[in-house]
Amino acid sequence: MASGRGGIPGPSRPCRLPLLFLPALLPLLVLLAFSSSSSSSGVAAAASPGAMHNNNWAVLVCTSRFWFNYRHMANTLSLYRTVKRLGIPDERIILMLADDMACNPRNNYPAQVFNNENHQLNLYGDNVEVDYRGYEVTVEIFLRVLTGRHESAVPRSKRLLSDEGSHILLYMTGHGGDEFLKFQDNEELQSHDLADAVKQMKEKHRFKELLIMVDTCQAATLFSQLHSPGVLAIGSSMKGENSYSHHLDSDIGVSVVDRFTFYTLAFFEKLNMYSNASLNSLFNSYNPSMLLSTAYYRMDLYERPLNEVPVTNFFGSVMKTIHTDSGYSGFLAAYNDGILLSTEDNLLNHAMLLNESSQRRSNIEETEEAQLRSHGLTEVLLEQLDGKNADTIAMYGLGTMGILLAISTWLSM
Amino acid sequence: MAPPPPLSPPALRRLLILALTLLVTPVATAAAAEEEFTEELLLRPLPDRTALAHFHFSSSAPPSAAAGRHHHLFPKVIAQLVQQFHIRELELSFTQGRWNYEQWGGYDPMSTNYAKPPGVELWASFDLSLGEIDATWKNLTHTLSGLFCASINFLESSTAFSSPHWGFKLNKGNLRYGALPREAVCTENLTPWLKLLPCRDKAGIASLLYRPSIYKGYYHSQKLKLTSSQSFGIVLDQTLTVVLQPDSVMGKQLHSADGQLQPSWSMKDLFNRNLLGKCFVSKSSRVFFEIEKDIFDKVDKSGTEASWTNELFVLSPAPDRVLKEINNMNGQSSSLYEYDVSNYEDAHLDVGVTWKLPLIWSCTPAPYHANRFLMGSGNERGSISLSFISTNMHKQLFDSSNDCSIKAVVFQVVPWYVKVYYHTLEIFIDGNSKAISEVVDKINVTPSEDKLLPGTLEMLLRFPCSMQSATLSLDFDKGFLHIDEYPPDANQGFDIPSALVTFPEFNSSRNYLETDSLFVSPLLQTFKEDGAVKSYTEVLLVPLTTPDFSMPYNVITFTCTVLALYFGSLLNALRRRTGEEERELKKAAAKRRLIPLLISKIRGKAEPPPPGSSPASVLPSKLLLKVVFVAVVAVVFHYLSNS
Repeated sequence: MASGRGGIPGPSRPCRLPLLFLPALLPLLVLLAFSSSSSSSGVAAAASPGAMHNNNWAVLVCTSRFWFNYRHMANTLSLYRTVKRLGIPDERIILMLADDMACNPRNNYPAQVFNNENHQLNLYGDNVEVDYRGYEVTVEIFLRVLTGRHESAVPRSKRLLSDEGSHILLYMTGHGGDEFLKFQDNEELQSHDLADAVKQMKEKHRFKELLIMVDTCQAATLFSQLHSPGVLAIGSSMKGENSYSHHLDSDIGVSVVDRFTFYTLAFFEKLNMYSNASLNSLFNSYNPSMLLSTAYYRMDLYERPLNEVPVTNFFGSVMKTIHTDSGYSGFLAAYNDGILLSTEDNLLNHAMLLNESSQRRSNIEETEEAQLRSHGLTEVLLEQLDGKNADTIAMYGLGTMGILLAISTWLSM
Repeated sequence: MAPPPPLSPPALRRLLILALTLLVTPVATAAAAEEEFTEELLLRPLPDRTALAHFHFSSSAPPSAAAGRHHHLFPKVIAQLVQQFHIRELELSFTQGRWNYEQWGGYDPMSTNYAKPPGVELWASFDLSLGEIDATWKNLTHTLSGLFCASINFLESSTAFSSPHWGFKLNKGNLRYGALPREAVCTENLTPWLKLLPCRDKAGIASLLYRPSIYKGYYHSQKLKLTSSQSFGIVLDQTLTVVLQPDSVMGKQLHSADGQLQPSWSMKDLFNRNLLGKCFVSKSSRVFFEIEKDIFDKVDKSGTEASWTNELFVLSPAPDRVLKEINNMNGQSSSLYEYDVSNYEDAHLDVGVTWKLPLIWSCTPAPYHANRFLMGSGNERGSISLSFISTNMHKQLFDSSNDCSIKAVVFQVVPWYVKVYYHTLEIFIDGNSKAISEVVDKINVTPSEDKLLPGTLEMLLRFPCSMQSATLSLDFDKGFLHIDEYPPDANQGFDIPSALVTFPEFNSSRNYLETDSLFVSPLLQTFKEDGAVKSYTEVLLVPLTTPDFSMPYNVITFTCTVLALYFGSLLNALRRRTGEEERELKKAAAKRRLIPLLISKIRGKAEPPPPGSSPASVLPSKLLLKVVFVAVVAVVFHYLSNS
C-alpha cells in the first residue's frame, strides 16, 4: 500500500534539508555529479551497444478492479493474446489482472472474456497463466516486478528476469489522470514512480529497449518524468483528454474494449510473426478522429529511427535460426545481417507510410480549425478595436453599463 | 557387494558379476516400471436434477535415486516440491460454490473428501523439526502460488495460517492449515493443474474438460493431494469435482408437464465434448456411473431386478462390469457401473442415463446439518453462531437408547480482526441452555493476537442422541485495521473462513466388491479409506468499520487552510507597517492608474502605458466623474422610486 512508494524519495520534502547545506557542499556535489555521470555514461556506453537484442519480455497490467471495468481486463488479455501469438512465450509474460472477470458471478459467459460484441474470440482460452491477480496487483508489487527487488521466496514465474539484451513491452491500462494511474481504485502510480523504476531498471541493466504503452485518460502525462535512454512511450491520450471505450456489449452489459487498444489490435491482427511492419506504421495507424483522443508518442529518449524498428521487436520474439556448415561463430554476424534485411524491406513500407501519414495530418489540421472557430469572434472584436479610438469605446461602454444598471433597478422594483 | 578376492580366477569373477546383475536387474526394472498413472471419471445423478462428475487422476512415483531429476510420468515439479519442502502430506483445493449438503448428500466419501470450502484451502504436514516448519510453509505458499497462478502467497503471513492439533487432523504439531475464502477460481488455476497430467487435456478423460461447461456449474472443486513416504514414494491424486446442470436441450423431456422427471443426460450433454479414447500412458482409464442406494430401494419396490436397465432408468451403453457396495446392513446398496475407456477406442464413449419414470430420491445426509451465521448489528460487536440440526439419520444406525451420545468436532479459524471472546461460549440444546461441561468434552483455544495470530478453536462436543437441534454462540468485537491493511474493496466486508465439523463416529467409507484383483482403482481406494463424516459450514461475511478513504485528503486540505489563515493573519498583523504602505500607495498612484491598465487589457496588447502623458491622466478623471455621476443618478432614481 503506502509502502509501495517507500523506496522512492518523495518529490519535495527530502530535498529541503540538503538545500541548507548546499552552499558548503556545492563544489563537492558538482564534483561528485560529474564523476558519477561520466562513470555511469561510460558503463551505459559499454553495455548498450555491446548487448544485442536477444530476448523479449512483456509486462501486461490491468489495474482496475470491479465488474464495470471489464474492458480493462479485456484490453490486457487482448494484448496478452497478441504477444503470445507473435511469439513471446508464457514464461516471459508477466500478466497482472486486478480482478477476476472470467469467473465473475456477473459474467454470463463463464470462463470466457470477449473484446468484441461478436463474441468470436475467447480471450480467456485454455491456456492463460495469470502471474499476479486480485489483491496482489498493487503499486508495490508492480514496482517490485519492474525493479526485480522481490522477497527471496517469490518463484521465478512471477519475476521479470530480463537482462541487458531484453526488449520489454510494458502495457498498462486502467483509470488515470494527470501524472498518475490508479491501481484498484485505491492507490496511485505516479509518473515519478514509473520514471524512477525505469531508471533503476536501466541502471541494473534490466532492459535494452523498453516500450511503454498506456491506455488511460491523460496517458501522456505519465511519461513526463522519464529520462532513461532506450525508452519509447505511447499513450492513448494527451493531457486534458479522456480515453474512451470503443463499444458496449449488451449481452455482457458493459463496454468490452477501449478505443486505443481496439485500434492497436486492429493493426496487429493483420500481422503475423514474420511481418516487418515498423513501429512508425503502428504509430501512424492511430487516427485521432477514431480514437476520440490524440495518441501521444514520446521518442526523444529512443535512438533508432522508428521506421526501421519492426513492431515484432517488442510485440514478438522472432528469433532467427542460423544454418552453419562450420562451427559456431557467435551471433554477431547474424545480427548484422538481420538489420540489413529489415531495412531493405522497410524502405518500400516507409514510402507508403509517408503518404498515409501526410493524409492523416491534413485531417488533423481540419479538425483543429473547427475547434478554433469559437476563438474567431474575439479576434474580430480585437480587430475592430484596433482601428478606432479605444478610449471612446470604453466610455460608451461605461455609459451603457450605467443605463443598464438604471433599467435593471427599475425593473427589479 | 564386496569385491571378489583378488586371487580368484577371472571366470569366477565373471560368474559373480553375472549373478549380481541377475539379482539386481529385476528389482531395478520393477522399481522403474512402477511409476504409473491412472485416470478415472465418476458420474452420478443428483436428486435436484443436476449431475455430479468427479475426475480422478492419480500418479505415483516409487522412491528412486533419480527422484526430482528424472521422471517418466510423474510431474517433476511435484517431486521437487516434495523433496525441497520435506512434505509428508499436502492438500490444496480450489473451490467455487458451496457443496449442498442437504441435496447432494453428506454421508458418502464424495462429500467427506471432495466437498471443500469456497476459495483456496491448503494444509500440509512436514517431515521437519518444529522450528523449521513455519519458514518452510512460507516458502511453500510462494512456490504454490507460482505453480497454480493463485495468490496462495497470502497464506505466508502468520495471521493467515494456524496449526491445529486435533480438530482438523491428528498431528504432532507439524501440520499447518490456511484458507483464503475469497480467492477467485478460474481457468488459470486449472491450466497448470492439467499440465501435471502426462496427457494434459489433449487425450484421455481430461479432454472432456471444456472450460465454459465446467465453470458454468453450481460447484467445482479442484484438488491436489500429495502423500509421500520413504517406503512407497510419492502419490499424487488430482481430482476435480463438478456439479453441473445437464444441457436441457439435449436431455429428452418425456413429460415436460411433469416437473419431477429427471432430465436424461449423457457425458456429451454435460461437457460438450466427446471422449476420444484413453490417455495412452495411463495404466487404466475408466468411467464409473454411480447409482445411489435410495434409487435401488425404489427399483426394488417396483418389483424389477436392480440392474443397469430396469423400469426406472436405462444406462445407455451397456456397462462392462458392475461393482456392488459391500454393506453390513441388509437391503440394497449403491452400485457402480464400470466402463473401460480402452474398449471404446473407435467409437466415442458417451455414458448416459435415460429416466423412464418420474422419480424422487434423496442422498444420505450427515447426522447433523451444520450451519453458521452471524448475529448482532452495528460495527462494534456481534456473535458467531453455529447450529446443528438433526437429520435423524443416526436413529437408523443406533438404537435410540437413552444415554447414547454423538461426538462432533468443531474446528474454526477466525482472523485476528474478529476478536472472539471464547469465555462467552453458550450452548443451547433444543432451546435450553446447557452448562459447557455437559456438552464440551475437550476444548483447545489459541486466542488471536493482533496482527500476529488468528484465533483457532478446536472443540469436541458430545450431543445426546435425542437432540433435535443445538446452537453454539460466541461473542466477538470487531477490530480496527490500519488504513494500509484494508483491501481495495473493503466496503464489501471481510470473510471468515469456513468452519469444519467432523463426526468421528460416522464413517463414510464405501467398500466395493472388486472382481479385478490385478488392478486397484485409486478412486475406489479413496472411497475405502477410513473417513469420518465431515462438513464445512458457510463462509461468513463480516462488515468491519471502513473509513471513508478520501477522508485523509479532506483532513489535510482543511488543516492546511486553517493553518494558512492563522499564519497569514498573524504575519500580517506582526509585519504590517501602515505608514510605509500609504507612502507606497501614493507613489503607485502617481505612476499608474487603474483604468488605462484596464483599457490596455481590453485591447489585448501589453503596450506599455505612455509614461506621464497628460491626456491619459485627464481622461481617467473625466471617466471617473462620469461613472460617479451615473452611479449617483442610479441611486437617486432608486431612492425616488422606492419612496
